[in-house]
Amino acid sequence: MRYEAVIGLETHVELATQSKIFCSCGGHSTKGEPNTRVCPACAGMPGMLPVTNRRVVELAMRAGILLHCDISRYTTFDKKSYYYPDLPCAYQITQWFHPVCRNGSLEVTTKDGTRTIGIKQIHMEEDAGKLVHDDWTETTLVDFNRTSVPLIEIVSKPDFRTADEVMAYLEKLKTMFRFANISECEEGAMRCDVNISIRPEGTEELGVRTEIKNMSSLSSIRRAIQYETARHLDAVERGTETLVQETRRWDDVKGRTFSMRNKETAADYRYFPDPNLMPILIGEDWIQRVRDTMPASVEEKTAEYQSKGLSEKEIASLTSERSLCDLFDAVTALGREPKDAASWILTECGGLLRKHGQVMGELQIAPGKLSRIMEKVSGNEINRAAGRKVLEAVLYEDAEPDAYCEAHNLSAQGDTDAVRQVVLKVLDSTPNAVRDYLGGKKKAFQALFGGCMKELKGNGDPQVIRALLEEELSKRS
Amino acid sequence: MMTPEGLSALEQLNEMRLTEDERAATLSIFRDMEAHEAALGAIPTDDVEVMVHVMPLTNILRDDVQEQPFTRESLLEGAPEHTDDSWQVPRLVK
Amino acid sequence: MGQYVTEIKRGGAVAVDDTIQVKGCETRAGSRILEGFRPLFSAEAVERLERAGYGIAGKSAVGEFGLDLLGEFAHGGANLDASGALRGAAAELVAAGGVKGALCVDLNGTPRRAAALSGVDFLKPTYGTVSRYGVIPCACSGEQIGVTAKAAGEVWELLRVIAGHDPKDGTSLPTETYSYNDGKAVAGMRVGLVRELSAAASDAVQARVTDCAGRLRGLGATVDEISLPLSDAARTAWNLLLCAETCNNVSRYDGVKFGYRSPDYRNIDELYVNSRTEGLNFLTKAVILYGSDVLSKGRYFTCYDKALKVRRLVWEQVKALFKDYDALLCPACAETAYRPYDIKDAFKTVFAESLFTAIPNLTGLPAMVSGGVQFFADTLQEGTLLNLAEALEGGSAK
Repeated sequence: MRYEAVIGLETHVELATQSKIFCSCGGHSTKGEPNTRVCPACAGMPGMLPVTNRRVVELAMRAGILLHCDISRYTTFDKKSYYYPDLPCAYQITQWFHPVCRNGSLEVTTKDGTRTIGIKQIHMEEDAGKLVHDDWTETTLVDFNRTSVPLIEIVSKPDFRTADEVMAYLEKLKTMFRFANISECEEGAMRCDVNISIRPEGTEELGVRTEIKNMSSLSSIRRAIQYETARHLDAVERGTETLVQETRRWDDVKGRTFSMRNKETAADYRYFPDPNLMPILIGEDWIQRVRDTMPASVEEKTAEYQSKGLSEKEIASLTSERSLCDLFDAVTALGREPKDAASWILTECGGLLRKHGQVMGELQIAPGKLSRIMEKVSGNEINRAAGRKVLEAVLYEDAEPDAYCEAHNLSAQGDTDAVRQVVLKVLDSTPNAVRDYLGGKKKAFQALFGGCMKELKGNGDPQVIRALLEEELSKRS
Repeated sequence: MMTPEGLSALEQLNEMRLTEDERAATLSIFRDMEAHEAALGAIPTDDVEVMVHVMPLTNILRDDVQEQPFTRESLLEGAPEHTDDSWQVPRLVK
Repeated sequence: MGQYVTEIKRGGAVAVDDTIQVKGCETRAGSRILEGFRPLFSAEAVERLERAGYGIAGKSAVGEFGLDLLGEFAHGGANLDASGALRGAAAELVAAGGVKGALCVDLNGTPRRAAALSGVDFLKPTYGTVSRYGVIPCACSGEQIGVTAKAAGEVWELLRVIAGHDPKDGTSLPTETYSYNDGKAVAGMRVGLVRELSAAASDAVQARVTDCAGRLRGLGATVDEISLPLSDAARTAWNLLLCAETCNNVSRYDGVKFGYRSPDYRNIDELYVNSRTEGLNFLTKAVILYGSDVLSKGRYFTCYDKALKVRRLVWEQVKALFKDYDALLCPACAETAYRPYDIKDAFKTVFAESLFTAIPNLTGLPAMVSGGVQFFADTLQEGTLLNLAEALEGGSAK
């Protein structure tokens, strides 16, 4: 008999916000020293009351729009109770009764073709803190920086049949969410619970289902699905064990799943509506506003950049990161040529990032500064090599392009008239060297060249100086 | 009806332990409350919406602005056990 | 009773219940589990008092999390009068004239009961008018800060200072300030005497209510006996919601982050269980266990959800009465005095007494105790309550 796996996914995604979901502490779980993005509420202290961050609701709506969901007209928050040291209030605020989005879908493509994965719902919730286990002191340290950082949980229908489909789904979510500024999707900012059962192909009834909790790396998720599917097959076909419906964890080192303690799985979470948080009503006008202010999708950006004459390769590179598109759009909005902007971002900035061991996604530069450098180069105020030098200073020393050029006397560098003035001055002030050179002593050229470099404080382009020296000397022969 | 076993499970779920006397008193409270619950249950509520909030406010939202007015030192000051930067508990079984 | 140093400032001093946070001042909510807890911020109501020039005289003792009848199971012990009867700490401070007034959290009628027994006033305003920011939370859907004072004029003065919109409380109503000058005059007022509640009180208390009705008629009001058939259901519903919400809110006290930690533990489970077992009293434990049970998978819809629906029915029933009546009159408690008793009976005792007080907590309506009796009014009709109390007190402080 042939079996198929039936897999469902619960994917937790950290939202890209400035502040947490219910208090004003900084969002972004990976920033800051332990417990520096914390307030009394994050530490479980009594007295503070939750007030919902509007941005969280709008990012959840954004995700719902991208995943073709129905956005709920009425959505509320509920409390879920359980004890664990990373949960300071011993409850988590989540959405149990009225989630913000329902009934969506996402198409995923693998080598076996394209399939549609159903989305049951998307809900908003707060994250828990982090625990660090200290072997030396036999204690566990508790860091509440991540407490109350906003998450959305995307609950799929059990529509996956292979690990490949799961991988394609997660990769696609990641790209879409990064591009729509919903989440930065950094390491650990996307975590999955995977539900697995198997059944004979062609049948409808589901087998015994197990859930593997809290995995964040794609390779772990793939291996866990493969391991767990094989375990189910062995149990069903060869009777190696009796499957029970339970929650399991993935051990990445041993490469196997294991059953969690009974206590953790038997918990009754006692959900009830949070009296401190009023319902959120979402009208058509609000949905339209979120739709209108949504960043363009990869597809829309690709079409736009094609019309601006960029190459396929340039478009692919720019659309790999929302931040690169934003930079490109800002620089062209300041009047720079699209082809030139793409080249400066991808070739010049890209080259410098590689030199400094960074990747394109880490590029951070004020569009105005990049635009100014490009303007100086295209206007022949400085040459491209000097422009690159300014760019490096802007990227790594936070320099101002104009001030930097002035301080380093770069403005004269590409300006042959200015260099020519220097050359003439040197020739006029050292007639002996000129006479020697013209008399056949070629070594005198070095002295003249050195004089020019000295005047230019070392910032002259040697080739330009050499050419101008030769030109002016030939006039005097 | 609440049983002694059920009560034990509730104690565990809520991380506490009752004495035998307290257990008897608690079971008696549950028995009393069952009668009141039955009276509540007899009230027809088929077409009634739940009322979580007594005041009809909606869409109470704040802007996404970060503020960090409390220092780590002040937050950790009252902790029963802590390091320079974290709260501390007995090592959890991994 | 007053736990901390008194410093009388301009405008007069106000006591603050120990379930309300004052920055830097140990706030224990009457519990061992909050031993040494010094809040990093003051309640909004406290901030408003201080900004208006009032001084905080100190903290008035409460029973653990304010769950008991009159503070009898406070960690520091019960507060008794000369006859050995139980008294509320804040109400006694006010009655003795030591403070201008007190801020008290009305969770299950305790400050109303205490005011009735000590012969002072207490007004629980409409839910959402006074910020709950800085209140040690138990039942967030119906608990509310109110004012205890000697006379209606002083209640009015302090309530105006603390009421008003606070963006830090997501349930705070949008109105920035309240004048409470918009109440109806007593002459011509229609008052309903709640038959079910009056009948449940002792003869002495019933006589007090009847006497009050007579005086109101003398002041030109009409008083009719009316029926509120859902009174008993309101009590069950409110206690059910209160236990569930409190169970959830006090689960944060676990010996990890602040407050009391048991010295006796080998692992996290023992740390939790021993800290909570030693840190909480039996009444709180019973509230937690019952509250946990009504939220459990098998019971949620027959208990918690049912209580939320009954809350709407009670609300509709009371609102309907306010079409015909300006205020409702009833007792604040069954007896004129209470003696110390065993904590094992506390849950049932408080449940029984909350018959008189549950409706305003369940529905958010304002309620006021004055002259040992209680009045309910429609949403935001505190002015009517103050006028009633003032007329009965024969004063004109407002």
